[in-house]
Amino acid sequence: MQELHARLSDQQSVEFKRRFMIFFIVISLALSLIIVRMVYLQIVKGDEYRQKSENNSVRLRKLRPPRGLMMDANRQVMVENQPSFDIFFAPNRIKDIDSVMLKLSELYAKGSSNFSNDLSLADKARPFAPVRLDRNVSREKVAIVETNVLDLPGVFVEVTPIRYYHNGPMISHIVGYTGEITEKELEKDSSGHYSSGDMVGKYGMERYLDAYFKGKNGAEQIEVNAFGRKVKGLGLITPESGYNAVLTIDSLLQKTAWNAMEGKTGAALVMNVHDGSVLALVSSPSFDANLFNGGISFASWEKLSNDPFHPMENRAIAGQYPPGSTYKLVIAAAALQEGLISPEKTILCNGTYEVGNRVFRCWQKKGHGSVNLHRAIVESCDVYFYNLGKMLGVDKIAWYAKQFGFGSVTGIDLPREKSGLVPTKDWKLSRLGESWQLGETISVAIGQGYNLVTPIQLVNAYAALANGGTLFRPHLIKSIETADGQKYQQFGPEIINKLPVSKENMILLNYGLWGAVNERGGTGYVLKRAEEDLCGKTGTAQVIGLPQDENARRAKKIAAEYRDHALFVSFGPYKNPEIAVAVIMENAGHGGSAAAPVARKIFDAYFSRPTKKTGGNISK
Amino acid sequence: MKFDRRLVMNFDWVLLFLVLSVSIIGILNIYSSGFSLTEPRLKVLYIKQLQWMGVSLCFMALAFCIDYRIIVRQAYLIYVVSLFLLILVFMISDATRGSQRWIALGGFSLQPSELMKVTVILALAKYFDDHKTEHGYSLKDLSVPSLIVFLPFLLVLKQPDLGTGIILIILFLGIIFIAGIKWKSMAIAAGCGLILVPIGWYLLKDYQKERIMTFLDPEQDPLGSGYHIIQSIIAIGSGGVWGKGFLKGTQTQLKFLPEQHTDFIFSVYAEEWGFVGTMLLMIVFITLILWGLKIAFQAKDMTGKLISVGVTMMIFGQVFINVGMVLGILPVVGIPLPFMSYGGSSLVVFMFSIGLLLNVRMRRFVLQP
Repeated sequence: MQELHARLSDQQSVEFKRRFMIFFIVISLALSLIIVRMVYLQIVKGDEYRQKSENNSVRLRKLRPPRGLMMDANRQVMVENQPSFDIFFAPNRIKDIDSVMLKLSELYAKGSSNFSNDLSLADKARPFAPVRLDRNVSREKVAIVETNVLDLPGVFVEVTPIRYYHNGPMISHIVGYTGEITEKELEKDSSGHYSSGDMVGKYGMERYLDAYFKGKNGAEQIEVNAFGRKVKGLGLITPESGYNAVLTIDSLLQKTAWNAMEGKTGAALVMNVHDGSVLALVSSPSFDANLFNGGISFASWEKLSNDPFHPMENRAIAGQYPPGSTYKLVIAAAALQEGLISPEKTILCNGTYEVGNRVFRCWQKKGHGSVNLHRAIVESCDVYFYNLGKMLGVDKIAWYAKQFGFGSVTGIDLPREKSGLVPTKDWKLSRLGESWQLGETISVAIGQGYNLVTPIQLVNAYAALANGGTLFRPHLIKSIETADGQKYQQFGPEIINKLPVSKENMILLNYGLWGAVNERGGTGYVLKRAEEDLCGKTGTAQVIGLPQDENARRAKKIAAEYRDHALFVSFGPYKNPEIAVAVIMENAGHGGSAAAPVARKIFDAYFSRPTKKTGGNISK
Repeated sequence: MKFDRRLVMNFDWVLLFLVLSVSIIGILNIYSSGFSLTEPRLKVLYIKQLQWMGVSLCFMALAFCIDYRIIVRQAYLIYVVSLFLLILVFMISDATRGSQRWIALGGFSLQPSELMKVTVILALAKYFDDHKTEHGYSLKDLSVPSLIVFLPFLLVLKQPDLGTGIILIILFLGIIFIAGIKWKSMAIAAGCGLILVPIGWYLLKDYQKERIMTFLDPEQDPLGSGYHIIQSIIAIGSGGVWGKGFLKGTQTQLKFLPEQHTDFIFSVYAEEWGFVGTMLLMIVFITLILWGLKIAFQAKDMTGKLISVGVTMMIFGQVFINVGMVLGILPVVGIPLPFMSYGGSSLVVFMFSIGLLLNVRMRRFVLQP
């Protein structure tokens, strides 16, 4: 057997040798081809390519697409693009960078412009990569550079699109702003769509929808001469424009709200109660997003970030305030649902309420007398709600508050939303290491104490009261369209919760809110309109929250920053609610007198509009 | 298994030396390619590659410690597992840069298509070992081996990873050639292929051709591929005779080269080390390939021969296609340069394959035919 095998191997070995030989030849031929090519490239043409690589004569130039536009609900453009002239410098073969820079600053000086020679230029410039010297320059500077092209080797002007925000300060907290992508952001990017030098959204909608607005970078392969100027194009990928966004914002209401809030500190929100779409969002003071075009100057940035009124903070979604009396509706809903009170039951208010050795006062010093649920809401009787609070206990209150959407972010389509705070016994124990005091429950019952809500939570909760109990996710994006106007994505209402409040109780609550505006003695009487019945609730949030300080506050001797915040939440019309409005004014005093007039202006504007497109139809 | 002193005496130090030299050059190069990058993630790639080097040396040891005949006995099982992983890629991985190649495993990612190459070699070796013939194989005899190759070939194409697909075909051709395909069968197959391809091509409409071209190589954009090749050629050519020096390649350091730590690593090397360097590297590669061929030729049994031929063809194919691509004489297909390109899966598979070569070589005196 073994012999046979050996013989077979012998026979085959000739064949094997032949096949291995062929193999050897094929492989050798293939590899020689490579070596020949290497000789050709590196030895025969080596000098030529060395020249080319030194000139860096073939390069890829990024072409950036225009960012997507933002439009309001009526397709009026809010944010668009404008050309920016940027001055670039490609050090290329220029040995003496400094002399070119000097020449440029001399020319600028003659033309009465500045050019600050960036000292770190040498570090920034990787030997052959173009550096941006100046961004978004005036036409004058462009002319200076263009007419002296021959004296400025390597310097050239490029046009890139940058943002233009119509009525900048009015909409900046919604639309946000853009800036050049940072190294950190580049590192975090896993999509691979971003590259250095790209403009990306940094804040607001610009940031939230950046992936859509951005579009796709194109590129142009060009051959350049020693001056770094294009000699011929070798190939082109056209950039793809970003997608446009249609927002739910109603510019008329936005403008009205902004004008009413300008010069004051606070926030105003208008929401369609039927789908949670935000019709106006104002945070005041604001900033001009246009400042960020082409990089904000250091001085402007310092000014913005050191402003004691924090214009960069979006109070509408990130401002956290004690809800004050606006919280009483939550307490009332909870007590009704839990069956702790009947609407008719009256409680006597003589102006004070004692728990242990502490005395809690009603805002009405002389007391409201005997009040039932309706009068308690209309006149915002504190003592009535102290009683309900004590009956409910803090954890029950917290459970209902959370059902109304307090204590967690609403999920609005803007970055940096805050969650507010709904205190519970457990929270206090784990957070502060102390057990809960009954007196704190009493404070919570009128929206003071640890409670914190954001204006967006407030308007959303009241919108739910208005529409019969549906809590929507607030949203600002109506749809996203491609650059040529094709619908890409539509955003409809998104339900996040149904209020655990029965229909009968809901009617009682809404009637109370109607009374607060329309009945004598109502705290929101300012809002009363002849044409439509509106509903609303005032609130006064104590900044220094101790009842004992009441006299001092009354005396108005305290500094402005310790004065009460004024709140007002409302919706209307009473029978067929369409919009909800929340207004918060910091350190402005009482809600009825300070915040309600702003809401009034917004309702006036809303009801006097020629068409009420965004109001929505009411299905009964 | 009883330990045999001859195993140590016949250990192929030359082969190990060749492989280690290329790997060390590779790591230096990866260091250079990431040297001036601003992204810290890419800057430290050489450290990761060093770690991979350690891992892959373990795999190499594994591959030569166990007698290759024992490994081959399990070839079908290994094959099925690899095939399963390849299918798994489609189900669990998200498309990384438009193609599905990786399976994330904790901290690192596995590329089953790399694994598939060596698995196919083992499976083919087993098949021909089980089906010996005296008169050579006809086309009909080769239907099962063809299936063994075409199943993963199609999956790999679908990823899409044309490069690995081509390598599978090359090593398949190499193995059936040495296993003993009949000359007549070979002529028929070659003839059919030669006739069918151009006819098929001319029947296609222009836009269909274009589509096929994009299908074959969708990774690159129309501008990109041309640009990459131009920059790569400028980089290589500008290296001249002596090169620009380590870390001094302007094309490289300015990031003009695409994928410079993976597929275009050769351009980085050529720019900085010049013709002298590239010749040296090519000599090492050529020696390595011929050495593999020699091991195949001297192997005592068909299994050993086929394993060695498969591994050699795999290395040859990748070197030829990768270098041909960066030199601009072959179309751009994404394929790593053995032992040089950054990438853990690739390095592990190549080191394992070298382990198989060492295995065949050191057991040629031990084996009784």
